[in-house]
Amino acid sequence: MATYRYSKSQELFRRAAGVIPGGIYGHFSPAPLVPPSAYPFYTARAEGSRFWDVDGNVFIDYMCAYGPMVMGYGAAHVEEAAAAQRRLGDSTTGAAPVMVELAELLVDIMPAADWAFFAKNGADVTNFAVMIARDATGRDKIVMIDGGYHGTAGWMQAPGHHGVSEEDQRHVVRIPWNDVPAFEAVLDQYPGDVAGFIATPYHIPTFADSQMPADGYWEKIQALCRRHNVVLIVDDIRHGFRLDMAGSSAYFGFTPDLTCLCKAMANGYPISALVGCEALKSTAARVFHTGSYWFQAVPMAAARANLVKMGEINAPQVMLTRGALLLDAMVNIARGYGYELKVTGVPSMPYVRITNDESLMLHQDWCAECTRRGAYFTPHHNWFISAAHTDADIQRTLEIVDEAFKAVRAKYGSAFQS
Amino acid sequence: MIESLVKANLNLYAVLRNLPLLVKSDPVAAKTVAQWRIGIQFVVWRGPAATLVFEDGTCVFERGRHGNTEVVFGFITPAHFNRMMDGKGTPVPLKGFRHLGFMRNEFPKIADRLAFFLKPTDAKLADPHYLAVNTRLTLATAVFAARELALFDPTCRQVADRIRDGAVLLKILPDGPSAHLIFEGGEVTAGLGDVQRPMARIDFRDQATANAFLNGRLDPFTAIASGEVAIRGQTPMIDNLSLIFDRIPGYLG
Repeated sequence: MATYRYSKSQELFRRAAGVIPGGIYGHFSPAPLVPPSAYPFYTARAEGSRFWDVDGNVFIDYMCAYGPMVMGYGAAHVEEAAAAQRRLGDSTTGAAPVMVELAELLVDIMPAADWAFFAKNGADVTNFAVMIARDATGRDKIVMIDGGYHGTAGWMQAPGHHGVSEEDQRHVVRIPWNDVPAFEAVLDQYPGDVAGFIATPYHIPTFADSQMPADGYWEKIQALCRRHNVVLIVDDIRHGFRLDMAGSSAYFGFTPDLTCLCKAMANGYPISALVGCEALKSTAARVFHTGSYWFQAVPMAAARANLVKMGEINAPQVMLTRGALLLDAMVNIARGYGYELKVTGVPSMPYVRITNDESLMLHQDWCAECTRRGAYFTPHHNWFISAAHTDADIQRTLEIVDEAFKAVRAKYGSAFQS
Repeated sequence: MIESLVKANLNLYAVLRNLPLLVKSDPVAAKTVAQWRIGIQFVVWRGPAATLVFEDGTCVFERGRHGNTEVVFGFITPAHFNRMMDGKGTPVPLKGFRHLGFMRNEFPKIADRLAFFLKPTDAKLADPHYLAVNTRLTLATAVFAARELALFDPTCRQVADRIRDGAVLLKILPDGPSAHLIFEGGEVTAGLGDVQRPMARIDFRDQATANAFLNGRLDPFTAIASGEVAIRGQTPMIDNLSLIFDRIPGYLG
């Protein structure tokens, strides 16, 4: 099996480094890809479950643009709806009717949604949710999970990061995941001053195993929030519509006050949403929060068409089923080479890790070998399965996985064998 | 107050502790101390203390007060010590008055040589020997300073709390020099040389790359993406450690 080279990606990166901070910044930075030389940096085009890099290499995409691609790149139902709206208007003076239709759709499919507010990125709505919580309660403190990610604003980043002041962190209290007594302790420590509790439906730290909620966790958190009048915010930006079309809170059986949505909404078109309960609707109306492109109609049309189609085929179930098929087979292949592949999270967005080497170097090498052969695996972040991944994709991926294990076995010999 | 104390720790435990490495790395420094036979203690009231011993052309640095040295210098506050390190203050000789001449005339020669190598310019770095010594000293300063910051700087302590147990190796390819930090149960140990089975490692392609990286003349993200600097293993350890490294110039810059 031939392995890929990336001379054009590297050349483009050299140009980029001259005019763009870090060459490629943010979550697309190649820095966590180990080694970066095993990965493409630039995509020339994409279709279905695959993308082609600027060197002409093709990849089965298990990052799905870090989440937004959910029904396949260029999915016809989305593109047609977007094109139709584009002919009518996109960024215009005055909101488009499709905004109302999309809000009605979300209210219709999500039990936790009595209203919807639209923005562009996940952090737009996590910030908005926190502002609403503070305004509604007249309190300051926000409780979040240690290692949780809700965007890049100062309050969201861990202390010590560049550009983050102590003041940014002053009203943020971090507690461990799945630790109800820790939340109770915070409520005791700051009586009448906790405005909101924000967390993802299950915990997805980077470079570490995902952690599901313990039995009764959300039920207890919800009860504590209700008892202490704390706004319960679910950051469903990454998980949303990959577990359940009714929202991940429905999957886990609880009802948040506010739910933040983004990635899977519009199959790559830029839109995010905050949906919430009736009691917070008037607060959401008076907290001023807006952006230049937040009323763009094309992403709204794309989101509406996408969510309808996802509901028709029960896309979360498709992704969960295909993901399980792929992951179970991968675990078996790994075992055949003496490696333990640990899968955490749900199969539609799994975090995968070889456990034989605690340092992750073996795992990083294996991900690199897979990517060099056309299955795009990152070693540090959960992967994403889309509804566009086909049986043929899975079969091809398993062949690559086998070859990659052969390659790392040849490199490491019996070291790390279980 | 705490900032001054942390800076004193850095000055003593990360900067002045480079003297043994300087003597090993630089023939001029080695020649300077060749005939010295003297022990000097630096004692900061409610602050750090260290002992330097010059003997038979070697220099040994130890944290804390050790042995009955010929000279003891006291500093009434960490800020007092920091002023001396900045060339703006003088120590209080607590012992060794008969060595005052040595301290006034001889010791500054090695201190000045250290300062020379720790303040690079483009012109100085064009000299391969300077580049090599500056790189060694800067690498050592980085790991020893990181240890102090991880334990004593309030913000860095929060960052260090997020670093899992294990060793981080920093190595200049192909053959070193190298340095490491070991995090274990809330303790942090810094050292020179390799370490077996690091949990994370930073490999610099060559000396020039390491020098540019360590002196803040190379964008880390670009350097990593382009392969000039390779990171492997538990990269969150490196991410957090880099946040600590980035605070060193705030104290020593």
